[in-house]
Parts: sequence; C-alpha cells; structure tokens
Amino acid sequence: MSRAGRPVWRLPSVWIAMGILAVVAFVTVFGSALAPQNPLTVNANALFQGPSAHHLLGTDYLGRDVLSRLMAGTRLSVLTALEAVGIGLILGTIPGVATVFLGRWFDFLANRFTDALMTLPYIFFAVAVTAALGNGLVQAMVPVGILLAPFFFRITRAATLEHARTQYVEAAELIGASKRHIIRVHVVRKVLPTIAVTTASMTAAALLAVSFLTFLGIGVQPPAPTWGGVLSSDLAYLAQDPWAPFIPGALIAITVGALNALADAFRDRSGSGRLAPVTALTPPVKTHSTLEPADDERRSQSVA
Amino acid sequence: MTVIDLARPRPPRGRVALARLGGGLAVLIPIVAISSFITYSLGALSNSNPAATILGQDAATPAAVARLDQSLGLNRPLIVQYWDWLTQAAQGNLGRSYFTQIPVAQSIAQRLPVDLSIALLAVLLAALIGGTAGTLAAVRRGGWIDRAVTMACSAASTLPAFVVGIILVVLFSMTAHLLPANGYVGPSTSVPQWLAHIILPALALALAVSADVARQLRTSLVSVLEQNYIVGAQVRGLPYRRILFRHALRNASGPALTILGNDFPLMLAGAVAAEAVFSLPGLGQLLLESAQTRDIPVVQGVLLVVSCFVIVVNLIVNTALNWLYRTGDGVGT
Repeated sequence: MSRAGRPVWRLPSVWIAMGILAVVAFVTVFGSALAPQNPLTVNANALFQGPSAHHLLGTDYLGRDVLSRLMAGTRLSVLTALEAVGIGLILGTIPGVATVFLGRWFDFLANRFTDALMTLPYIFFAVAVTAALGNGLVQAMVPVGILLAPFFFRITRAATLEHARTQYVEAAELIGASKRHIIRVHVVRKVLPTIAVTTASMTAAALLAVSFLTFLGIGVQPPAPTWGGVLSSDLAYLAQDPWAPFIPGALIAITVGALNALADAFRDRSGSGRLAPVTALTPPVKTHSTLEPADDERRSQSVA
Repeated sequence: MTVIDLARPRPPRGRVALARLGGGLAVLIPIVAISSFITYSLGALSNSNPAATILGQDAATPAAVARLDQSLGLNRPLIVQYWDWLTQAAQGNLGRSYFTQIPVAQSIAQRLPVDLSIALLAVLLAALIGGTAGTLAAVRRGGWIDRAVTMACSAASTLPAFVVGIILVVLFSMTAHLLPANGYVGPSTSVPQWLAHIILPALALALAVSADVARQLRTSLVSVLEQNYIVGAQVRGLPYRRILFRHALRNASGPALTILGNDFPLMLAGAVAAEAVFSLPGLGQLLLESAQTRDIPVVQGVLLVVSCFVIVVNLIVNTALNWLYRTGDGVGT
C-alpha cells in the first residue's frame, strides 16, 4: 500500500472523517441553540417543502424545519450512543485485560460467556427494557452497551495476549518488575491504540443502534426530534415526499461512515507496524515467562 | 495464520467437533438460564403493577388487584414465579397475553415464519451477491470491477438496513411500482406473492452482509490465487474456470462462510428493521406492540424464544463450520 508510509493524520480520509466528526461534536454541544428555527414550530402553510433559502433542508409533514429538527436531535442521539459505548468499554476492556492473567478456567468461561452474549440481538433487549422501565432512550441503551462489551472484550483480550508474551515483558520480569507494574506499563499502554480503534467502530455501531431504536419509536417523546424519529415520520409520508428520508438517512450514514473510516485508517496504520507488531506474520517468540497467559489462542481464533 | 504445532498429533476431527459441541452446550445451559432470568426479572423490575394495568384505572380497587394477583400467581416470590415460568416454557407454554388472552406461544409461532423467511432469503441473497462480487473482484483484482466492488462495499456497509429498506421502497415501489411496499402473504397462499413481499426486506438486510462477504472473499481468494498449487494447476493446463471453482474458491470460502453463518442469527434481529420499514407482521412488531402496552408475558416470551433460537443456531453454525474447516491452519482460518 502506498499510504503505508505516511503518518495517519496526513491521510485525506482521516482529515475528512475528523472534520465531519468535529461538526457532529459541535452540533451535539450547541445544536439546539444554533438551530435556525424552533424545531417544534408547526407551520400549516409550509408542508413538505423542498430545500429553499428559508428552510435549507425543507420542511416535514407538519411544516417544521428539517435542518433545525436534525440539529436539535443530534445531542440525544450522540450522547446516548456514547453512553452505550462507555458501558461496553468498561465492561469489556477490564475483563479483557484481566482474563489473560487470571488463568485458564476464568479465560475459558469468560470466552464462552462472551461467545453467547455476542449472538444476542440488542434490539430485542432494548425494547424489553423499555417495556419494563418505561420508554426512554437512556435506559434502552443500557442493554446495547452490555451487548457491545463482548466486542471490546475480545479485541482487548487478543491484544493483551499478544503483548503479554513479548520479550520486553519477560525482560521486565527479569529485572524484577511487579505484575501490576508490567500490566499497567507494558501491556495496557500497548493495548490502548487497539482499544481506541475499537471504540471508534463501536461508537459507529451504537449510533446506528440509537437511530434504529428512535426509528422504531423507542425512547422518543413525540414532539422532541431525534435522527431516527425524523426518518420514521418521513417514511410515513413517502407518498407526498419520497425523497425526504434521504436527508436523515444520509446524516446517519455520513456520521457512521466517518467513524468507520477513522477506525479503518488507524487499523491499517497499526497493521503496518507502527503502533503494534503484526502477529499474523511474526509470531511472538515464546520463551519462559512466568506470567502465563492462558494458551488457547487457537480456539478463540477459530470461534471468531 | 497460527503457529502450526507439528510435534503434537492433531486429535481426530470428529472428536474435536464433539468436544466443541459439548463445550458449547455446557455453556449454553447457564447462558440460557441467565438470560432467561434477566428476561423474567425485567418484568418484575417494572414498577408497573400488572394487575392494575389489566384492570384499568377505574376497576383497580385494592381488593380486585389482590384477587387478580392471586389468580395470576403474582404474589409469590420472584424465584418461584421464575421457576414456574421456565418449566412451563420448556414444555412450550409461555403463558397468555394479559390483554388478549391469546397464548404467547401461539402468537410467536404465527409470526416467526415471517422473520425466518426474510432471514433465510437474506442469507441466500447475501451469499449470491457477496460471492459473485467478491469472486469477480478477486479475479480481476486491480481492475475497474475490483475498485467498483470495493467502493460499493464501503457504501453498503455504512448504510443501516432500515435506511437501505427505505431507499428500496422509494426505488422499487414508489418510483418503479414493481414490488409491493408493505404487507405479507404466506407461502401457503401464493408462493410468487410471498416472494414479491419478502424480496425487498430480504435485500435490505442482505446488502450490508454481502458487502462483508465480498470483502472477505476477495481477500482470501486473492491470497489463495497466489498459492503455488494454483500456479501448478495452471501449468498443468487445467481450465481456469475449473481451477477457480474447484481449487481456489473451495479453499477461500471459509472466512466468508463464517461471516455468513455468524450473521444468520443476527439477520433475525435485522428482520425487525425490515418489518418496521415494510410493515410486516413479524416478531419485532409483536414485541414493540407488547412493549408499548407493557404486556409482560409476551415480551418475556419473545425474548426467550429469540435468545434461545439465536444461541442454538449459532452453536450449530459454529460447529458445522469448524468441522468443515477444521484444520485451523492454512487460509481457512
């Protein structure tokens, strides 16, 4: 690859992705204040209007300004996505690092448990939670976060396994470093880039989950705008305005695409040997470490 | 590629598959138990009083509520209720809806075929589209087909199924008037009608998966096509078609099939998206309706059936794939 030589922040895809995400972050913070019009104002004289100078993205079935609705809806969508990612990050990465050092049995159980969790579809659990705890996006995203945790767990575990077997860890042991020190300095720090990449792609997944849930009407208090909510109301009026769903659809796709592009760029970079060595090509030299990582790499790989 | 352990003889493949299946089952039972308990306690967690909900605001006098609690068994300890529910569920009895009194198992059995047919068709379409695109891209790697496939894959994997579904509705139903935009007809009524109603939802689901399949197949097929035995086959003068299908694709299809297999249970969840866009009477709609009315037995039943189904299918798929590509070395991993 020709781009392998360039630093990751010089890649045009990374620039564009960062730009998009910066805009989304800005709108998340200031969106409801900056919205050009009140997102809730109904205007019976301006139904289903196309884009114009007054309504940059047109109006919806109640004559409300679509741009304002999307801007005001950004905060809830983004923050609840981050909530789910935060839950997944904490529940996934800590056991992911720990499992390598806690022995075979723990590792085996943790792996089988995550295998099973990974298969469970989040959407059913999110809906069930709203049935039990009331219709709100904040509680609906808790099961989403829990079901994101296995992905964090797996990747963290794989990365930890790789670093726990390197010679510098062994060297640190020989010098007499404590287990805690080794895990903190030599393992966790090396695993952090991997976790960062995973966080980016999981945020994309969580944003999709939020838009899907709000699209289904979960966690939406009707007049309040959300990305998925705008989309589903557009769907109901396809006959009047078949192109309306493309605006919120594109917004979701662009944001998710930016996160994925960022994750891909960093993953490609780390794959080329700057951030982490490539295990697939250069198997780590196994010598005589007393930090015995559970040795079932093969099993976990074939399951994945 | 993993480090191949040459010193240790590999156990026979049947035993490995059995051990894996056994291990999977051993974990399966606690997982089902845990997830079903979570499922069940979700109902108890809700501070809504089921008896009061059923009776409605006017009739919910304390005495009436107590009587209904008694008859529904809601005044017993949670763990006892859970055990009762689980043993009943194991015999196919998931209780009755609070409101309609229809047995939950019956409504689930009625709606499951909708999602299953969408999910199965989606897997087929994903294999077809992804397989073709991936093979073409690998055979013509570096060419315009390859670049087009790569770009289409990035676009397709960004778009969520419900957005794809809406695009398909706009294109095929609103603009071209070729296919129905909503509704469902069972295969027993009319097979062509059934296909016409599920092809768009299935396509919406299949697109993202076929992008994954195409990408994975392209990668592994490119690396297989560079292997010596392919060159050897070419040198021996075998026709390219035969080399591609019999030698290369067979060895390269492992990872792509794994993606497909792992995604099949998720397709069932994705079918909820398709249901919502195309307003099909599937499990997702049942769940959404019952969540809105807080019809807890229905919610619990759907959740239990879906999680068991997904876990079991996943176990079967994994065991089958591991048996097929059992070696663990070579390109198949």
